[in-house]
This record gives sequence, structure tokens and C-alpha cells, in this order.
Amino acid sequence: VVSTTALVLLFLNISLLNGQSPPGKPEIVKCRSPDKETFTCWWKPGTDGGLPTNYSLTYQREGEKTRYECPDYITSGPNSCFFSQKHTTIWKIYIITVNATNRMGSSASDPLYIDVIYIVEPEPPQNLTLEVKQPKDKKPYLLIKWFPPTVIDVRTGWFTMEYEVRLKPTEADEWEVHFAGQQTHFKVFSLYPGHRYLVQTRCKPDHGYWSKWGLESSIEIPSDFPTKDTTVWIFVAVLSAVICLVMVLAVALKGYSMMTCIFPPVPGPKIKGFDAHLLEKGKSEELLSALGCQDFPPTSDCEDLLVDFLEVYDNEDEQLMPPHSKDYPGQGVKPTHLDPDSDSGHGSYDSHSLLSEKCEDPHAYPSTFHIPEVNEKPENPEENIPCIPDPQSISKEGNGPYFPTDESKSSTWPLPQPGQHIFRSPYHSIADVCKLAGDPAGALASLLDKAEKDILKSSKTFETGGEGKVDEQKEMEDAHSETKQDASWPLLREKAPLIHGKPPDYVAVHKVNQDGVLSLYPKQNENGHQPEKSRAPEGNKEYAKVSGVMESNILVLVPHAQATNMALCEEPAKKAPPSLEQNQSEKDRASLTAASSNCRGPLGVLDYLDPTGFVHSFH
Amino acid sequence: MDSQGSPRKAGALLLLVVWNLLFCQNVHSLPICPSGAANCQVSLRDLFDRVVMLSHYIHSLSSEMFIDFDKRYAQGRGFIAKAINSCHTSSLATPEDKEQAQQIPPEILLKLILSMLYAWNDPLYQLVTEVGGMQEAPDAMLSRAKEIEIQNRRLLEGIEKIVGQVHPGVKENDVFSVWSQLPSLQAADEDSRLFAFYNLLHCLRRDSHKVDNYLKLLKCRIIYDNNC
Repeated sequence: VVSTTALVLLFLNISLLNGQSPPGKPEIVKCRSPDKETFTCWWKPGTDGGLPTNYSLTYQREGEKTRYECPDYITSGPNSCFFSQKHTTIWKIYIITVNATNRMGSSASDPLYIDVIYIVEPEPPQNLTLEVKQPKDKKPYLLIKWFPPTVIDVRTGWFTMEYEVRLKPTEADEWEVHFAGQQTHFKVFSLYPGHRYLVQTRCKPDHGYWSKWGLESSIEIPSDFPTKDTTVWIFVAVLSAVICLVMVLAVALKGYSMMTCIFPPVPGPKIKGFDAHLLEKGKSEELLSALGCQDFPPTSDCEDLLVDFLEVYDNEDEQLMPPHSKDYPGQGVKPTHLDPDSDSGHGSYDSHSLLSEKCEDPHAYPSTFHIPEVNEKPENPEENIPCIPDPQSISKEGNGPYFPTDESKSSTWPLPQPGQHIFRSPYHSIADVCKLAGDPAGALASLLDKAEKDILKSSKTFETGGEGKVDEQKEMEDAHSETKQDASWPLLREKAPLIHGKPPDYVAVHKVNQDGVLSLYPKQNENGHQPEKSRAPEGNKEYAKVSGVMESNILVLVPHAQATNMALCEEPAKKAPPSLEQNQSEKDRASLTAASSNCRGPLGVLDYLDPTGFVHSFH
Repeated sequence: MDSQGSPRKAGALLLLVVWNLLFCQNVHSLPICPSGAANCQVSLRDLFDRVVMLSHYIHSLSSEMFIDFDKRYAQGRGFIAKAINSCHTSSLATPEDKEQAQQIPPEILLKLILSMLYAWNDPLYQLVTEVGGMQEAPDAMLSRAKEIEIQNRRLLEGIEKIVGQVHPGVKENDVFSVWSQLPSLQAADEDSRLFAFYNLLHCLRRDSHKVDNYLKLLKCRIIYDNNC
């Protein structure tokens, strides 16, 4: 052994000195089958040891013991072995070994175990063709066509191939890859006109490796290549139209409720004393007078719409206000048929309108006189419109003591409504009075009754001073009942203003005539303060309480402490003098003292008129 | 409001019905024959499409399973050398290249396929059981094993139907390949056990590929007359 080793070492030394050595171990690089019928193996030689080296490939198949040598070293190039169909068996393991041999020795590679079916890698597809197609009435596209590699047998189904296509504009960096399945054509729709495109394909067996990308083909996309996708826009347009239609339908069907929900109806302004009828007729004078505006432009007094003055006249010249309903249909007044007992919501609405219609001038009250309950006889417009006194007498200045009505809810006075500012004052509305005037005998009793009822009603709801009112009412009633009792109250008896249930109606004593009859105005908005001003629920009422009846049948009125009001401070004062002027001779009649201020101050002090100022004959 | 709502609902319903009628006409409803239905008439083309799809899927799963297992457990163990000629279905005279496959009559080929599928029923069941018991087995392997087992049964049914249409009245195949490697799967020795798994997965991968290839051949031959 020692000698053998020595010899080998000597031999190696000699070889090394010569630069010769056995070949290095070759290595099998890969084996590939392009068609599942043949395959090729390539190896990488090791060092050749400085000597010419032969390489041989041997293989053995599964289940066989025979070792074979490579049948073809040439077809696939150097360092390769090509296995033809004859030598290819699939679903069997091949054990392949490459031997390198030179003069010095040989070396063998590691055996490679392969099964042909797992090493399938086809060639790229062939005959790639590109064509831009622009069919009529259809979208244009690029048609890419190719063929499978020549050796592949797809027809019999032995080989199942899948393809991939990629394309890009010449200047782009990234490829756009599309999987084409088992088909050999592909259509591309989204292309930029005027660009040059590069296209490539590759393929893969159903279970195997992808081929390399095939040869590039390029094509120029014509500039008139339409790329707009109109279908999307059509869809969007149709969808928008449908949505709009649905919305329109929804609005149309439920428009009213929607609109009322979004935009609640704003109560329309109502001008107190506004007679649309007159407007139609074109009688501006009457209209203005109905509005109570003696002079135009309206003074500040005219804004006092909430003051209803109940004017009682005893002469037939008094014009009766037309029924409210007739006059102001537009205002939404539903006067005549209002049930005194029904407190519907629109009473306030109506009353507002009523108030607004009426001019601040208390004489405008004719409209306010449209007491629903009173207007059981709508056919008697005269009764309802008795209260348009002649301008002069109607002037606010001429008003005697008056009792401010609850302004806030004077507008509601057509309807007796518990929730509203009830007519707290025991004063009868002018309408009532007018009615009495118009038909003293017949209407009086009914009016009075109604007024009483209303007053009672209103007084019930009105806490403050209710009792006082009731008392007053009772007094009045007593006075009424004793028709013959008080000579000073003939008018009252006859023409006792009916206290309609309208909460806001207050009666202001306009004047006292010789017979001791009080001329009352429904006090709406004294001194022309904001008619629509909303008052404190209970505070806005101005009314004067009758504190007592004097021996000469003169009502002593006292301001109600609780009455709040809009400051109608000056008017009373203004009004007092004219009455004084008018009826100097009858000053002794009035025992009422006009409050100098006549203002309903914030305290709600009611101003009452100086009775002396009222002593003047009516008319 | 209700009166407005009901006409709208009716209109929407009508629109839906019309839509379905208009646009759903072209849909062919492929009837799936419930097993046991005698008069089920699925076309041969649809049957072949279905079985080819199943066989392709099964082989994909098997291939993934093997590659996964090989990478994880069998590196450097030289299992491949030991797995030579160790599949239990090697006794079946299956064609081993294209010429042989094209020379075999279709019905015989179908029978061979059936035999192979029958031969794999038991091993697949055992595979699922043993993989489930293997603590170190990844979840993917277990799910794939289960899926292969399920799909294999469906494939079997499909091919039986094809055989019933192509070659009715054929006798039951008597050749059974028995798989006897269960003890190896349950061996205590880890190396033996892993090799048993490796061998099973290797054979499964190969046989599933055979079935897939044969079916694709048959499909092109029977349905498209060798002009796929």
C-alpha cells in the first residue's frame, strides 16, 4: 500500500508538473422537453485537467436495469444530449449521469432524477401577426394572432397550451400583460391612437414552464382610432335621467308636504281694515277709509292694528262694516260661520289678518266686528259694518277713552279661542255694538247673550283680572237685563256691544253721548303700534275695567293693572282732547277720567279716558 | 302614502321580472345530475369539460403538495432514489407516450383511468387521516389532501357517467391495485414515515397527471375528433 500510494503521488506530481489532471466533475445543468415527446439535457463540463476530455451521458430508466448512453450528442448543441421520441418515455424517472473522461481519469456527475413530464418548457409561439380592425358600427380594436410552436401537438390533445400576450407603446417602460387562455388570438380595445405598439407572446403547457417571450412585432395605431367609450357616458346619462325623473315624481307627489316641511307657510300679512272688495271696485277712498287711514301716507297710528275700538253709534248713518268674510276673503278669514264655541286654529290666523286689515284707526274695526258668533246673520252686512264712523269722528284723536284691547290676540277676536288671548275686557266688540245699532231690538239680545258667553269664555281663560271682567260682564248683563233701569244705558242695552269671544277685543270708549251711551271702539292697536307684535300671552291685553257706575249712569273705568301693552302712550292723550273738543257741552256727562298718559305702559296700566272728554253728543 | 307605495313596488317588481326575462335568456342552466338519477341527460361535451377541469385541478393540488413536502422534509434525504418503481399502480398497463396513448382504444383508456381512480380511493383516505395526525404537517397540506380526496370522488363519478355514455354495458373492472403502504405511513421511525409520505405524494402527483393527460386526449379525440 505504501508503495502504491507513493506511485500515485509520484504520478500526480508528474501530472501536475505537466499540468494534467483528470477532468473535473461535470454538472448537468438542466433538461428540458419542448413537446412532451422529446427532451434534451445540457451539462456543464468541469475542469478538463489540461487534457482532452470526453463527455458521455448515460441514463437509466425507472423499472429497467439497462444503462443506456445518450443517443444524440449533436442535435442540441455541445454538451448536450438529445432524446428523441424513441428514447423518451414519460411518467418514468430517468437517472442521468454525465461522465467526463480524459487520459488522466474520469469523473462522473451527480445523477439527475427527472421525469419528463415535469420538465416541459415549450418554444415561444410563432407567426405573430398584428392587425388594426375597424369594423363599421363597432368599436375598433387591435387583433393579435399567433401560432403554437411547430413541434407541439395540440390537435390531438396531447399537449394543452396556454398563452400570454403583452404590449406597450414604444416609449413606455412597462408592459401590459394579458392572459389569453388556450386561444391563439387576442383583441385589444384600449389603445392610444397615433402611437406605435410593440407586442409579444409566450406560452406554457398546462403543467409546465413558461416559454420565453417571442419575437417582437410592432404596429402603428392610426390617428383616427376612436378611443372614447361612449357607452359609459350613455349609461351615466340614462342613470341621471332616471334619478331626475324619480326626484321630480317624488316632488310632484309629495311636493306639498315636502315644501310645507321645508318651508313652513308664512302667515300672510293682513291689513286691518283692508277691503279687497273695495279695491276691486277701485274705490280707493273707501278702501283707505276702511283701512282706517285717514291720511296717506299712513301715520304711525295706523300700525296699531291690534287695537280694536268698539264704536257704538246710535244713528243710522253709521255704516256697517261688511261682513268680514266678504271683505277679506283673501285673508283667510272665515268669519261668518265660525262657531263661537269652536276654537279652531285658524282663528288666530284669521284674527291676525283681520287685525292687519284694519287700520289702526279704531274705526277700522268694522272688519273686526266680524264676530263669528255675531255673524250668524251674514246677510246683515250692515250690522257688521256699522262701525265705520265718519272720518272725523273716527279719528283716533276723537276717540274718547278707549280701552285697549289685547293687541296681540285682537286679531283673534273673530274667534273665541281659549288658547288665545281672550277677550278679557268686558267690553263688547264694536261689531256687537254696531249690530245693536243696526238692529237694536232684535240683535241686541242675541248679541248680548253671545257677548256674554264670549266674555265668560274669554274670561275663563284669562287669568288675570278675569274675575273682574266677569264682574263687569255681570254688571253689564245686569244692566242689560234691566232694560229700563238705566236710562243712561239705552244704547248699551240696545246696542250693547256683543262681547264676542274674541280674546283680543277690547273696547275703548270713544265717547259718551248725551244719553249716556258709551261709544266704544274695539281697541285694537292703540296708537298704531305694531299690530302684529306678539304680546305676552296674558299681558298684552289692555282693557279698562268698569269700576263702577256712577249715579248718572256713567261708567267709571279704571285701567287694569295687569294689562300690558304696546306702548300706546300717546294716542290716548291725543284722543282725549278731540273728544273734549267735540263734546264740551257734555263734559259733565263723562265721569271717566282720562288717564293723562293714556299710555299703556309696560305696567299695563290701562289708560282710560276722562269722562269729561266724552261728554259730547254722538254724531 | 300607501297608495303611492304599492304601485311603485309593483312597478319595481315588474321591472325586475322583465329584466330577468330579457337578460337571462342566454344562460344555459347546466343541470347537474344528482347521483343516482337514471334519466339525467348531460351532454358528453359538458361531461368531458367537467372531468377535465377536475383532473386538472387535482393534479395542480397534488403537484403543490409534493413540492411543498419535498422542500420541507425531504431535502438531502435521497428519497427520490428510493422512490423508484414504488407506486402501487405501476402494475397497470398505462400508455407511456403519445403513440401508445393514441393507439389504445378510448374505452380501454377510460377503464384504465377508472382503475387508477379506484386505486387511489383508499390511499387518499389514509393520507388525509395521517396528515391530520401529523403534528408537524402544515395546514395547507391537510386542506389540500382533503380537497384532493373530495374531488377525486367527483371525478370518479364523472368518468363513470362518461363510460356509461361512451361504452355502455361494460363490465366492472376487476383489476384492483392494492395499496399496502399504510404500515409505512404509520411507522414509528421518522425517516421511514417521511419516506412513506414522500412516496405517496410522488405517486399521487404522477398518477393524477396521467389521468389528466389521458382525459384531455380523450376529449379531443371523442368530442373534437382530434382537432382541438
